[in-house]
Amino acid sequence: MTEVTGDQGIPADVVEHHLDRGAVSLRVDSALYPLEAIYAAAYVFIDRCYVFLDRVAEGKVRVTLSPKGAPYDAAAAREVVGEFANELLSCAWRAQITRESRATIEAVTAQALSGARGAPSLDDLEAFDFSDEAFDDPLGIAMSWEEKYAKNKKDASKTEPKPEEPKAEGGVEP
Amino acid sequence: MIELRFHRELYDGNAVDEAIKSFDRFATLERAEEPSCFVVRVTAKDEARERKVANELGNFALGLTIRSGSTLGGSE
Amino acid sequence: MNLLQLRRRSSTFALPFNHRVVGGKVLITNTEGAFLLLTPAEFERFAEGNVDRASELFTRLKERNFIRGEENRESMIQRIRTRKSFLSFGPNLHIIVVTLRCNETCVYCHASRAGMDAVQTDLTKELAEKTVDQILKTTNPNVTIEFQGGEPLVNFEVVKHTIEYALEANKKVGKQLEFTMVSNLSLMDEDKLAYLVGKKVQICTSIDGPEHLHDKQRKLPKLSAHQKASYWIKRINDEYERMGLDTSLYHVEALLTTTRDTLPLWKEVVDTYVSLGCKALFLRPVDPFGFAEKTGGRVEYPRTEYLQFYRQATDYMLELNKQGVQILERFAAIFLTKILGGEDPNFLDIRNPCGAGIGQVAYNYDGKIFTCDEGRMVHEMGDSTFLIGDVTTSTYRDLMGHETVRALALASNLEAQPDCVNCTYQPYCGVCPVHNHRTQGTIFGRMRESTLCAVHKGIQDYLFEKLGAGDPQTLETFKKWTTVRDRTHFLQSCAV
Repeated sequence: MTEVTGDQGIPADVVEHHLDRGAVSLRVDSALYPLEAIYAAAYVFIDRCYVFLDRVAEGKVRVTLSPKGAPYDAAAAREVVGEFANELLSCAWRAQITRESRATIEAVTAQALSGARGAPSLDDLEAFDFSDEAFDDPLGIAMSWEEKYAKNKKDASKTEPKPEEPKAEGGVEP
Repeated sequence: MIELRFHRELYDGNAVDEAIKSFDRFATLERAEEPSCFVVRVTAKDEARERKVANELGNFALGLTIRSGSTLGGSE
Repeated sequence: MNLLQLRRRSSTFALPFNHRVVGGKVLITNTEGAFLLLTPAEFERFAEGNVDRASELFTRLKERNFIRGEENRESMIQRIRTRKSFLSFGPNLHIIVVTLRCNETCVYCHASRAGMDAVQTDLTKELAEKTVDQILKTTNPNVTIEFQGGEPLVNFEVVKHTIEYALEANKKVGKQLEFTMVSNLSLMDEDKLAYLVGKKVQICTSIDGPEHLHDKQRKLPKLSAHQKASYWIKRINDEYERMGLDTSLYHVEALLTTTRDTLPLWKEVVDTYVSLGCKALFLRPVDPFGFAEKTGGRVEYPRTEYLQFYRQATDYMLELNKQGVQILERFAAIFLTKILGGEDPNFLDIRNPCGAGIGQVAYNYDGKIFTCDEGRMVHEMGDSTFLIGDVTTSTYRDLMGHETVRALALASNLEAQPDCVNCTYQPYCGVCPVHNHRTQGTIFGRMRESTLCAVHKGIQDYLFEKLGAGDPQTLETFKKWTTVRDRTHFLQSCAV
């Protein structure tokens, strides 16, 4: 049977109050709550708390929450840590279901946004600035046939100048 | 002086550097590196200011780390 | 009934479903939004995969696509497509705040009003034109322009100018255009009415219930706000009748904001609406926007008390319908259209994903553009999270591609929402990321702690209890509430 404290039913060895610093900390098991969930929950709280993350042991992240503004109040800190624990659980679950339902979520979102946005007009295309974006061409569509296949010809290196190494990130060849 | 120890598996080094740049006019900030952490020492004219700058710097570094979407050495 | 209580759960008999005990029966729903109310014994046989093929239960389950290998894929696809048809188009509802000035002071004001001398909060004609130009770029063939405030009649010249300009501009683009105006009606006069009726502007107002409650919550200096609104509701409805319009279809719509003082007055509220000739009553709980948050201590209440109020008021409305009185509850109509009709009425606050940006856009008096009116109200409270551009510099595609619009589309997708993803009501429900942001500090929200979720679940519990009870007259009334009759008179004729 796990012992629980008054801190919103959270086990006693998980929550620690730091009266001197006006903070409360929560030890989080990384096996239960992935880092992306800890980040997501932490981000929700940085407007009302100072949040600090620390790795206290292998597989354990300590989240320290220091409520902003008002002087440290144990009741308020308990409220904050309880709400954080709920948010953490919600974020962990969301991360999991987002992975499981990714195809549906992407299909609905893509349809919603493309339906709302519509096709670009000629004015939109004219105003589009291509100059500051790296041109990513992983399939080599923008290359001429000769450029694409010349290096496969046995004598290509002897008869033609070597094409410049493509700069596309994540290219297929070393 | 307050010492902040940003664990490398939890904080992005660029985010910590950016936070230092943003807050170095409010306190003296000294940066050091340890195998597992980026260490930032905060010194200001009084304890309250040190605490305030350390807290804000910590939030700033965490916010930037999350926004950068870095895949750090977490449990995933 | 809990699945864990079953002896031999089958993982191969049923297609994915969610279930919930409602009124002694077990409600099951599936992805396409089909539902069945089963007895506990039927549910047990279903969950254990122990249903005789020749049984009536098998037929019912099969018809609703609950049995693996027996599904009609074409009908499933079609039903999902119908429910999500709104995804193919951009924003339909465009809210223009023509001024923040208002002559009434309301205890729960949602709109963050300004005093009558704050003329700097009036929309100018120049910005109004730019706003209309922006609106008509939507990919949606249907466009509703809603004038709001403050009190829009305070800046009536700009309302008129906007209408004239929109009618002219629309000749080039040929949208199916409608105008609505939300007004407290206290500044209405015969000239304004003649103009609005002549231009086919739908008029909507607020009625908080009986006169003493309305006037307590909506202060109109030296006058009764209720008497003013009541007079003009009747006057406008008379005008529709004089024009030969069907008054069961064409009448002033009124909205209720439920405060703590409203709760014991459920019968008086319904009677007031009926006596004013209103055919619909929207039992809206108070929102955490505008002044409502500051005065929350006085107007707020636990949602269990609200749901009790909702049940009492709606039960009473159902009784009145049995006596031949035409009055519907708007929440119920929205949910029942999805539950019984298999269609989404495109009510933007209860949609999946919600309408923020992709279904509605709010344009402030100063040209600033927001994902929705709630986002605009939050801005007036000092938080500009939902600001996505302005009518002078933003392009339409900038707005629709804005990262906030994308974030809200993701945050309000119930497939990605804890609790919602397993909720039996998921096919019919929707969340409001702005409400989540305001009350919980995250656009995703935690549904188990959300007052909005409690309201949505509680109302759907009530509706399914009624469906399960199967009273023929109630079912007949529900059917009427889901019958959408287009109000074509309000459509502007358009030509390209």
